[in-house]
Amino acid sequence: MSEAAYLIGLGAAGAAALLGATLPARRRVLGAALLSSAACVCAFLAAGQVLVSGHAWSAHSAEVLPLTGVSLSLDPLSALFVATTALVGLATSWYTIGYAAHSAPSRTATAMLPAFLGSLLLVPTASSVATFMVAWELMALTSLLLLLNEHRQRDEARDAAQWYAAMTHVGAAAILLGLLLLATHAGGQTFAAIAAHRGQLSVALRSAVFVLTLVGFASKAGAVPLHAWLPRAHPEAPSPVSALMSGAMVNLGIYGIIRVGEDLLGGGALWWWLAVVALGVVSAIFGALHAAASADVKRLLAYSTVDNIGLILVGVGAAGALAVSGERLLAALALLAALFHLVNHALFKGCLFLGAGALQHATGTRDLDQLGGLARRMPVTAALFGIGALSISALPGFNGFASEWLLLESLLHGFADHTDATVVALLIGVAALAITGGLTAAAFVKALGVGFLGQPRTAGAASAREVAPSMLVGMALLAASCIALGIAPGVLLPVLERATASGLAVRPPSPLRAGLGLDLTGASGAIEPALVLAGLLGALVLAWVLVRLPARRSALRHARTAEAWGCGRELQTARMEVTATSFAEPLQRVFVDVLRPDRDLEVTHVAESRFFPQAISYQHRIDDGLERVLYRPVIDAVSAWGRLARRVPNGSVHRYLAFGFVALVLILVVLA
Amino acid sequence: MSAGTELDLVELTAGVVLACAVVTLWRRDLRALVAVLALQGVALAALAAVLALHTGDVGLGVVAGVVLLAKGLVIPNLLARVVRRDPGSRETTPLVNVPASLVAAAGLVIVAYLSAGRLTSLFPSPMTRLAPLGLATVLVGFFVLVTRRKAVSQIVGLLLVDNGVALVAFLLTAGVPLLVELGASLDVLLVVVVLQVLATSMRARFGHVDLDQLRELHD
Amino acid sequence: MSPAAITAALVTGTATSTGLGPRIAASILQVAAVAVGGPLLIGLMAKIRARAEGRIGAPISQPLRDLRKLVRKERIHAEHASAVLTLAPLVLVASAAVAVAISPLVITTPVLAGGADAFVVVYLLLMGSVALALGGLDPGTAFGGMGSSRAMTIGALAEPALLVSILALSIQAETSNLPGIVTATLAHPGWMANPERLLALVAVVVVVIAETGRIPVDNPSTHLELTMIHEAMVLEHAGPDLGLVTLGEAMRLGLLFGLVANLFFPWGIATNASVAHLALGVGVLGAKAAAIALVIALIEVSTAKLRLFRVPELLSGAFVLAVLAVMTGLVTR
Repeated sequence: MSEAAYLIGLGAAGAAALLGATLPARRRVLGAALLSSAACVCAFLAAGQVLVSGHAWSAHSAEVLPLTGVSLSLDPLSALFVATTALVGLATSWYTIGYAAHSAPSRTATAMLPAFLGSLLLVPTASSVATFMVAWELMALTSLLLLLNEHRQRDEARDAAQWYAAMTHVGAAAILLGLLLLATHAGGQTFAAIAAHRGQLSVALRSAVFVLTLVGFASKAGAVPLHAWLPRAHPEAPSPVSALMSGAMVNLGIYGIIRVGEDLLGGGALWWWLAVVALGVVSAIFGALHAAASADVKRLLAYSTVDNIGLILVGVGAAGALAVSGERLLAALALLAALFHLVNHALFKGCLFLGAGALQHATGTRDLDQLGGLARRMPVTAALFGIGALSISALPGFNGFASEWLLLESLLHGFADHTDATVVALLIGVAALAITGGLTAAAFVKALGVGFLGQPRTAGAASAREVAPSMLVGMALLAASCIALGIAPGVLLPVLERATASGLAVRPPSPLRAGLGLDLTGASGAIEPALVLAGLLGALVLAWVLVRLPARRSALRHARTAEAWGCGRELQTARMEVTATSFAEPLQRVFVDVLRPDRDLEVTHVAESRFFPQAISYQHRIDDGLERVLYRPVIDAVSAWGRLARRVPNGSVHRYLAFGFVALVLILVVLA
Repeated sequence: MSAGTELDLVELTAGVVLACAVVTLWRRDLRALVAVLALQGVALAALAAVLALHTGDVGLGVVAGVVLLAKGLVIPNLLARVVRRDPGSRETTPLVNVPASLVAAAGLVIVAYLSAGRLTSLFPSPMTRLAPLGLATVLVGFFVLVTRRKAVSQIVGLLLVDNGVALVAFLLTAGVPLLVELGASLDVLLVVVVLQVLATSMRARFGHVDLDQLRELHD
Repeated sequence: MSPAAITAALVTGTATSTGLGPRIAASILQVAAVAVGGPLLIGLMAKIRARAEGRIGAPISQPLRDLRKLVRKERIHAEHASAVLTLAPLVLVASAAVAVAISPLVITTPVLAGGADAFVVVYLLLMGSVALALGGLDPGTAFGGMGSSRAMTIGALAEPALLVSILALSIQAETSNLPGIVTATLAHPGWMANPERLLALVAVVVVVIAETGRIPVDNPSTHLELTMIHEAMVLEHAGPDLGLVTLGEAMRLGLLFGLVANLFFPWGIATNASVAHLALGVGVLGAKAAAIALVIALIEVSTAKLRLFRVPELLSGAFVLAVLAVMTGLVTR
């Protein structure tokens, strides 16, 4: 049943791509959106059945791909990723209906979106090296085309696409090399064959494979320092694509690390997982800092993705390290926490990116410094974006809190392990979580407060209107999931446990008790968000009543509206409001050594006196510091080579043919 | 004194010694630096005294007395006198700013913890487990030497290194021979006196005691 | 009994002979005690400062009288503000009340003994801060936004120190459950003199000073717009709403003082819900909180307010002390 539903889903995604490419302009968006919704529903049902029953399936077809055939299998770990992708995909598909009414996307874009979605659904189920690489490249290619879609309007999109293309292909090459190495030595290219023969592989080979694939998967996940494409591509892509990239594509990097490291290679050495924790810690702190300093709402969200991927990597790394020490229960807890956070992140980040798209549509800009006062003009978008923002800030009662708490608990109880290096890694992990917690709250108070509250700062913001209902429905689906998982995180436990068990190389016991809340079995620790939320609502109503009671007696139930305090100055204008840049200024000054902002202040004075400025211009930008240090030299070296190579061709056809001939002879000599 | 209380006290005093080292990176006020150093000396002396009481070693008791006298009283007093001549002097612009130094200190503590594991596994005992605290004190002391500009801060850094070494010695061997400790304490005292004289004459000549400015002498 | 066994028993409810009804009553008592005691603590600190500066000062009950006055005043809503401005004080008070209700202040096992996690309390406090910061941005004025920005910055810097301090305590007690930590400390009085606990205590006290907006981080009695942090953020609240903000802040202060008192020195806390125990618990809590208030008031008298950009130094110091606490705990375990 599950198998059929899944294949129907893939077929529907393919059909949606076809419809998008062939139907006339007005119908193609609706047709593609409806068919891709159907694809997502089918995939979600298929994955749901595997997750609930725990029965995996696998299928092989020799006809589809020549030489190798296609192998698919859906085990609970894959199913968790398929289900998450399907949910975000469903929301995105509905969203595109309204989104397209504003922007009239091209034929390519309409066709590529379902294709991208299909490839995202395909990657986690691929169960042989060839299938996996084909699906992976399909995903890279379709997302690249979607990113390039707006390159005529904006140069930044072209730049972002170049970065993305280069990094994703270097990453894919690393993965391909790693997996080929694995397949040749394990004597088979299906994942099952590799897992069965992993015992015969030497430690050095396994480590080489892990490092190669880690480089590729970490660059797809956007882990620092391989993140450079992410803060460019996510903001420049159309918002539904950004939502899919942040909510589904980066997850597959994590999937790859778990699948290869735990399932195919069987855990391996301690240092692998310490390296993963280190990547996670650096990404989390770096991402959170840049998110707190960004004034562009989509760039903020992109950096926040880097941050959250970092937290997930900390969990995955901690799980691997604890599993190496033989702490199976603790390892299971850490991996479960990481997977839970991954699901939650997909939900709220999907919602936030769709919200940012709505913002951009309504106002024409995504620069927070030019927004403001949107809560009155687009109340539903504001509420849904607000739910996403509060979830990602990990406030109790929202899903981000449940998974961050679980992550903290798994690290805390991991201290029962006595390996010095692991314990230090756990401590640094907790410190990273703690540092990012406050920064994330600051970043999203900024996004919410500066973007939606206060007075509009520009005419664009003042004339904003609520977006189309279909866009709101897409966002509402994700926001509702955030709240549901926040109130009753326990309902997802059985599902997460099955995914964890199929991910870890050692079969763990169950780390949590069943229930609505979360309750650890191996150690003491529990939360009951539903009760806390009920208490909060009760206290809120009580406080409201208590405050209003004396007022009723004095017949002053309605508040008088008065002008805000302006330090004695009349006429508060929006020019005097705090902007996103100035909101972030204190934090940016504190972390000036990491962020290294470029500031440029120019004051022109009136000719008569230098005490009276005529014009003041202030420019401020924060570039990615790591990019300057790590990537610039590489880019410079490559372009130097490129200039050198340009001298070789001179237009002579004979010379070009000679190159081919010499290359052929050389290869034959090498092979002989 | 029961073995449990004794161990508790040793842990406490060793913890205070390391905490004092970190606090020297935290504070800019040179007077506070000297006060923290005095506290560290007292804690070190207390640790030696606890060990002496526990083992009944008279020599160790004398060492405790010497440590208290030299590191808890005399040296801090001498330094306080230097500081008093230059009131309000602060470590205003260290080479590495304060938050970064503090984070570096956390890193150094972790390095000490990871690297002292081999050392302590040679003589596993409740006392030797604490050796990373002493090693961390030494590292933090070196960090102070490397990053702080004022002459007084430099002396404080040097003394931190010395106190850290003493702490490791107390913990690993449960005591230092009297003669060695006497010699070391006198050495340090001598260094402090020399530096005090130097600092005084520097102020007389240049009007400040900022070591960074000494680079000009090179030209 | 090992700490883990104690807390496991506690979480599953075998150690608590007290039924749910009395525990709910004890929680309500806690909220009432903190709602009254928090303002009194603020009054006490003002009194101590006044005396130390040679003034007589207002009576200790002055903050309570101010609250009564504020609640009776007219409601005024800022011009461009939305409902967020009205909602923020309510969320602040509600989150503080829930945090108080589940924390072991008067009794070790108030309602939700199993789910009373330290991280829940921390994030409930964060919820109040986020609500206030959004309320500060809502009227669209220069001061409110500036206050929000500074408050969020300081909050973001204080959070690592707080969470890592909790980690130090939790590693020792093998749980982050607050009743679990308190019960385990009661069972091991020797812990109170452990170096890791003392280091964590210093770190937590610095965080409490920052979170409650006391000198040297913020000056609660300033009325100069450019130097204010918290006061600038709540500038647009008036009348009953301002009363709620003041009450919420006072409750947070009471909660933080009470938690410091009971996590580090849990003497005298009630272990069951009998009237005598609860009465003793309230009395001892009041005395311990007053002692902490004395210490913090003396710190306030003897130090000058730090420049805003010196505050990170203070908080990073607290963070490093907290890391040191964890490391010392690892070395000595």
